[in-house]
Order: sequence, then structure tokens, then C-alpha cells
Amino acid sequence: MKRFLETGNFAVTEGAILAGCRFFAGYPITPATEIAESMSRRLPQVGGIYVQAEDECAAMHLCIGGALGGYKAMTATSGPGYILYADPYGWAIGCETPLVILNSGRVGPVSGITGAPGQGEFYLTRYPTQGGNFETICLAPNSAQEAMAMTVEAFYLSERFRTPVTVLADQLITDGFEDISVPGNEGEMKEMGFRIWPRQIHPGPLFYPATDEIDIPPVQLGHNTGALCSDWTPTEEGYDTEEVENHHRHAFRLIYKIRNHRDLISHRCQKSFLDDDPELIVVSFGTPSRVVNTAVAKARGRGQRIGSLRLINLWPFPDELFTRKAIYLVVELNWDGQLVREVQRAAPKDSAVHFLGTCGDLPTQADLEESFNKLLANQPLTRKGWTLEAW
Amino acid sequence: MDRLSSELAATYLRPRKTPSTACSGCGLGANHKIILQAVSELGLQVSDVVWGTSIGCAGRQTFATWKGDGFAGTHGRVYAIARGLRLALPAEIKLILTVGDGDAFGIGLNHLLHAARCNADMTVIVNDNLGYQSTGGQFGWTTPAGSRTDSSPYGMFEPGFMGGGLDIMNILKGAGATFLARHIARDGQAAVENMKRAILNRGFSLVHMPYPCPTNFGSTNLGTRTPVTIYRWIVERSAPLGQETADTLWATGVYLDASNSRPEFSEQVREKGQQIRRTQAA
Repeated sequence: MKRFLETGNFAVTEGAILAGCRFFAGYPITPATEIAESMSRRLPQVGGIYVQAEDECAAMHLCIGGALGGYKAMTATSGPGYILYADPYGWAIGCETPLVILNSGRVGPVSGITGAPGQGEFYLTRYPTQGGNFETICLAPNSAQEAMAMTVEAFYLSERFRTPVTVLADQLITDGFEDISVPGNEGEMKEMGFRIWPRQIHPGPLFYPATDEIDIPPVQLGHNTGALCSDWTPTEEGYDTEEVENHHRHAFRLIYKIRNHRDLISHRCQKSFLDDDPELIVVSFGTPSRVVNTAVAKARGRGQRIGSLRLINLWPFPDELFTRKAIYLVVELNWDGQLVREVQRAAPKDSAVHFLGTCGDLPTQADLEESFNKLLANQPLTRKGWTLEAW
Repeated sequence: MDRLSSELAATYLRPRKTPSTACSGCGLGANHKIILQAVSELGLQVSDVVWGTSIGCAGRQTFATWKGDGFAGTHGRVYAIARGLRLALPAEIKLILTVGDGDAFGIGLNHLLHAARCNADMTVIVNDNLGYQSTGGQFGWTTPAGSRTDSSPYGMFEPGFMGGGLDIMNILKGAGATFLARHIARDGQAAVENMKRAILNRGFSLVHMPYPCPTNFGSTNLGTRTPVTIYRWIVERSAPLGQETADTLWATGVYLDASNSRPEFSEQVREKGQQIRRTQAA
């Protein structure tokens, strides 16, 4: 085990290499550029390939090419690049190609503020492309160390589920310097809970059967198996088709291979002070959760019955974590309220669900304390003249 | 030696995809035959080639025709996928892409130029039916000036990449392509010979092949769906390079043969990687 004082970008790079990633294509963008930089340095050292692409759309298509040729491949970006993945993301979902994508959230819309954290792509990680008829997997770490772990896990899940997996971080996670431990061997990786799934070769010539099964090796080209993959709705052999019945079978596979194996994904969360039936449950993910966890611990010290639920797996959405009747406060790094809508949907119907948004900067302890006090006293949340309930 | 279409089809094409799903009278099959004839004359086996295609008439009608491994990219992106694939596949495997003019010279041009820039080993055959025909017949970037199409009802008046002193080949040459040719299928063996040179080049090759569309371009712009008439219209506007007249739209032949004159992309990446590993501890 080696320890470093390093950035989340470093942690993601090392995690990817531990997971067997040997192909990275990217396009420079703040605050994920350093991942591309460190990949360009590290991958050739371990027999891997780094490519700088002409844009993000090309970057993810290059990764698709690498993956079709047998590589575990990855790309990294921020919001303005993530939206340019829409095209290849759809292709990779439809052709069931394993890939890992890191999105370091900054402030949007569009270029917004480049060097500040945001969480504007919560829903975009659920619908990263058009057309519907699919389910996605998204993991959201809240530290550099966990960014490494979730990168490793993303590769594991992408191989087993044959699908692109997004690690949704933010600017503070990728840019921030933290104490990072990097395992040096398989034993240490196991100790840290890192799971690895090897790339296997689809024997062809069938594309995929109409099944919700996972662990079917992904289609690969160049082995003369007669493999076919395309952007069109495929038959089970991979031929393009306009037949609705074929599409139904395809969509069933894309949706239910994930939904029916949620146990492999959706257990990942952090629960704090949730055992004594708290009156108020604060829900968050990513960096804001670190402020939330501190504020909740302090509130407990003051005798307030407040718990914290930090989501790590965002998609498929872990509805099963929202069975308690309580007041919910959802804290996010956006002003429009995204996660709060899912919490509202998943929580028991008579639960009060509230939203505390900020963007570009974390909520302060004072903001959170004030919100806790108001909600426990059944008062509305307002601050700086903004009606924060208007999500 | 010239082989019958049926022999070529039996050797290289999937029975499920023959006969073609293209419109009656479409010229794509003639282009396809030129490519297969070249593949055959080079002695390539099904296992020697991974075949990629694009969106649109040329892409969809050739997708999954090749007996071996095949893929189709999203619109305009197949060049980026192929570039990634080139890095992952053994150097001996040939990458042949059959794409359309809208895909290559419109939505995918940036990716195409970057594939040319880094001289990634692939042979791109741009089957040019003079516009967007699978969507009903809109003008494209190599549609002859003045053409009436569904989206240029008064005649196409904005400049394209062909004509008025422009030629898409010049852009590709400037971008770093190492083999460039243009042919119509009627060029027969001359087209086959140059297709072979394109495939043999260990680098980025592109062959531009205009062909007739009876369903849309022919019927809307030329007032005929008769393949022979449309073909004649194209032939009358084609001439071998150096013999162009004022009416020539498509000068045919080899524009550039700089085969094997520049390092190939994947080879360069591989060699540099090995060099780095030798000198740097991980």
C-alpha cells in the first residue's frame, strides 16, 4: 500500500489502471484535464494507449473502438463534454459495450463556471442519450479515495452488465488534494473491496439473446466470429431491423439486465444516524455530503433527531432506501433541484420533501443548521429572499 | 481476374443480405462490386477484414453484408470508432469502411480529417449519391451546384465541396491522407486497381465514388428514374484527371499516392509505447 497526498484525478487514474484499463481517449476540459494528463503519462508505462481526441464525441467513439478491439477503455470529462457523449453513449448502451466515463461536475448550464463544483447532471446520468428504452448505472463518490474505488467498481460493473458506467464526481473531488492509499497488490485490493472482472470474448455469431442475464461477454471485433454491432435496432444475430418485436426484445434486455440485478449495484450508500427513527433525514451525494455529515453529527450533539443518507449508487435509483416516513431534506449543488424530485417520487406519499440548493460553492454549516432548525419547527425554508422550495 | 458478382457474393457476402436491400436501379451495388473485386484480387479472406459502415443509403445497405466481423457507427462517427479499433486490432487486419457523402463530408468531416491527419490505416470508400437520399433527397456537400433537390427547390446555390474551384480531395490531402482516388464504377478495372492500392496502403486511404440514385436525385433533379440515363449523366460529367473539360464535375483517377510515406498511427503509438516502457519504470 502506498500513500499519496494527491488529487482525485490521480486517484481515478490509478484506480482505472488497477481495474485493467489500458485505453483512454479524452479531450481537455476543466476540471477533468488532469485525468487525461496523468493517463498520457501512466498508460504507456503499463502497456496501455492514450489518445487525445478532436472532441469529446470522438473521444468516446475512440473508446468504443478500443473496447470493440478488446480493451477496457475509459474517458473523462465535465458537463460540457458529457453532453457531447450523447451520441456514443447511446451507441455503447445499444451495442452493450463496456466503458467507464468520469464526469467531474462543474457549474452550468453550458460552460458556466469552470473551476467550481456543480451537480447539474444528475438526470443526465440517467438519460445520457436519446431514445429511451434503457437503464443506466451511475456511481457518485464523495472523496478522492472513493473516486478510486468507484472507478474500479465502475469497470467491474461495466464488464458484467455490458454497458457504459458513469462515475459522477465534481470539481472538488477531482481537483482537491487528499490522503490517498493505492493498493500495491491483489491482496491489498481485495482488502479495500476492489473487485475486478476480466474481459472475455463473445464467441459470436449471435449478438445477444432476449434475456436479462448478465455476465455474457461483450461483442468484440477482429476474432472472425461474424460479430455484428450497429446503431440500429438489432436482431439477436446483430442484423439491423425495423421490426417492433425485435426492438421489444432488445429494449427488454437493455432495461432488465440492470433492473433485475440491482442487488449488485444499489446497496452502495452511507447511512448515518438512521437507526433511531429520525424526524429529519438529509439526503445528498458527492462533496456536499461531507458538509451534510458534519452538520448532522453536530445536530445530533445538540440533541436533534436527524439522520443522513448519502447516496453512492445514483442509478438505478435506490427507491428501497426511502421507506421511512420522515421529513426529507435534499441538499444538492444546483438551484433547480434534481435529486429532490427522485426522493419525492420514492419517499412515502405523505412525507414532506424539502430542497436546499446551492451551486459553485458548498452549503455552509450555518445554512444547514438553519434549515434543520426550521424544518424541525415546521417552518418554510427561505434564505436570501429566494424561495428554496420552488423546485 | 474479373469474378462474377455471384462468385464474389458467395465468397464474401452473407446470404441474408443478398440480394441488396437498396432501391431498384441504385448504383451502390456496382461500387460494392468494385470493392469486393479488389478484395478478391488481393487474395484477402473474410477473416482478414473488419468492415465498418455509416448511416444513410451507403452505410445501411452495406452493413452486415460482409461475411466476417462488421460494425456501423452513429452518423459521421465511424471514423473515430475505426481509429480506436485500429489501435486495438492487429496490424494485419484491414479496416474497410463503406460510407456515404453526407456522413463523410458533412457530419463526420472533422473525424474524417483527424483520421487522415494521424494516417490511421483504414480504407474509406465514400459512396456518393449526390446528397441525402435515404431521408428523401436533400442536397449534400458534394451535390452539383444548381441541383434541384427537396431542400433546394430553387437549385442549390450555396457552394459545396465540389466545383467552383473546390475539391474535397484537396482538403483531405492537406489533412494528411496518404492515398486518394476518385472513380465511378464504370471505370471498371481501373477502379479495381486503384481500390487495391487504397487497401494496400498502410495508412489512411479514401476512394470517392459518385453513383446514381434513381429514387430521389435522378427523379427530382434529372427528371428520370432510368438508371442508364442517370449513369450517362454522371459519365458525361466525369473525365480522367488531366483530361477535364469545362463540364467536368468529377475528375477520376489517383489524386494522391503517398502510400507508406508517413508513419501509420497505430504503429507509431505502439512503437512509442514500447520505447516508453523500455526507458521508464512504471
